[in-house]
Amino acid sequence: MNGLQWWCSAQTLAWSWVPRPFPGVWLLVALLAGLYWALRRTAVEAAPGHGGSPDRRRKWAWLGGVLALWIALDWPVGALAGYLASAHMLQYLLTALVAPPLLLLGVPDGVWRRLASRPGAIRFLRFLTHPLIALAIFQLILFYTHLPSVVDRLMVTPLGSFAIDTLWLAGGLVFWWPVVAPVPTRPRFGYPLKMGYLFLATVLNTMPYAFLTFGELPFYGVYELAPPVGLLGPHQDQQVAGLLMKVGGGLILWTAITIQFFLWYGREGEAEGPAPAA
Amino acid sequence: MKPNHERSSIRGTGRIASLAAVAVCLGLMPVACRVEAPERAEAEERARDTGYRGIYLADAGPRPDFVLTDMRGEAFDLRAQTEGQLVLLFFGYTFCPDVCPVHMASLAAAKRGLSVDEQRRMRVIFVTADPRRDTPERLREWLGNFDSDFVGLRGSEAEVDSIMLALGLPAAIRDTAASPDYTVGHASQVIAFPPGDGQRVIYPFGTRQADWKHDLPRLLNP
Repeated sequence: MNGLQWWCSAQTLAWSWVPRPFPGVWLLVALLAGLYWALRRTAVEAAPGHGGSPDRRRKWAWLGGVLALWIALDWPVGALAGYLASAHMLQYLLTALVAPPLLLLGVPDGVWRRLASRPGAIRFLRFLTHPLIALAIFQLILFYTHLPSVVDRLMVTPLGSFAIDTLWLAGGLVFWWPVVAPVPTRPRFGYPLKMGYLFLATVLNTMPYAFLTFGELPFYGVYELAPPVGLLGPHQDQQVAGLLMKVGGGLILWTAITIQFFLWYGREGEAEGPAPAA
Repeated sequence: MKPNHERSSIRGTGRIASLAAVAVCLGLMPVACRVEAPERAEAEERARDTGYRGIYLADAGPRPDFVLTDMRGEAFDLRAQTEGQLVLLFFGYTFCPDVCPVHMASLAAAKRGLSVDEQRRMRVIFVTADPRRDTPERLREWLGNFDSDFVGLRGSEAEVDSIMLALGLPAAIRDTAASPDYTVGHASQVIAFPPGDGQRVIYPFGTRQADWKHDLPRLLNP
């Protein structure tokens, strides 16, 4: 466990504030930067002349998504996630709830247009990102990846830890797709339904929160038996993890609900048109 | 453009596939909940056989007979001063980065779950394997972080090693020449001596608070 690790995982070594490299995380960040360049090229090819190149907001959104992933997976947060359940939860929030919507918002318009012209892909996406299916997939991933038996088995190896992170990112992309992505078009899934969808997610979030916060004993062997970091005992660390899920997750989801509300309000205003002059 | 009947057939297949996917995931839930790590399964099996999740040794002889110095600098006679009590004995050192603080934290948490009377009938004894650095003040401060009733004992390195060997544990390895922040190799198990002689239960590293919660009532009333 002492040598170079390609991905962060739980350790039996005492925690150290000396930075450690995780080449797998750096490779992922480089791949995402490369993917953006490829998407941009696709967008330009799809609409040469105008409209293909992404606007500044989309660039910043993609950058924000990559940054969130980088913070979540690299040292120190990623490494601490092998010692503290609370750091593991922060990693979950960044990987599943922050990075995915930003990455989806960062996709250039031209790429969406190109995707919309592919019936096979649309059929598949229409099924996968149907709000009920997307919510079910996301909640099942949330449930499975927080089970003590799963965490204790997977977090101890880089491959297992990578599997959890990948599931979170994939689940997050599926969950946020109906809210953020313009393809496939779902005219009936308007702003009020999007708000309801996000609200339902906040309610479903409560189950694992309660399980972590009000549990009598530490659930995760990997964190209970990890070399101590700081002053928190394993039980308090688990309670902080639960609160982080409730408060941090709630904050992200309610921010998204608020944004949807203002978008809805703005569109209603536009539809009504300017007030007639007296 | 696909004809209407074909599109509705695709939609129907999609619905069935989605229901099947959700059903498979829901079906796997109880399986995933029941999957246990091998060491947990072993502890459960031991509990079924002996009533303890720790490793039970019958006819283990009397509890060790030694006198060391406690944190106030007074002699502590283990056999005489713990008669009729449950003793949880551990050899470690306060600069230990992993095993020792984890064991002490688990024992402190488990002790808090007992009644006041039960707490009075148990003694956690921490014998330092590193008496050079573990001064009485250091022991008191470090153990106090976990529980102020935990007893810290000191002796010479030779005394402590001979006690460990008598208990069937390897002697401590102190690499004092390596650096002032040297580590000490030591046995990682807590040894429980229930009240009355003849029984011993071993708790290796990996013993969790849930295991202590399960075993402590029985250790107190064997």
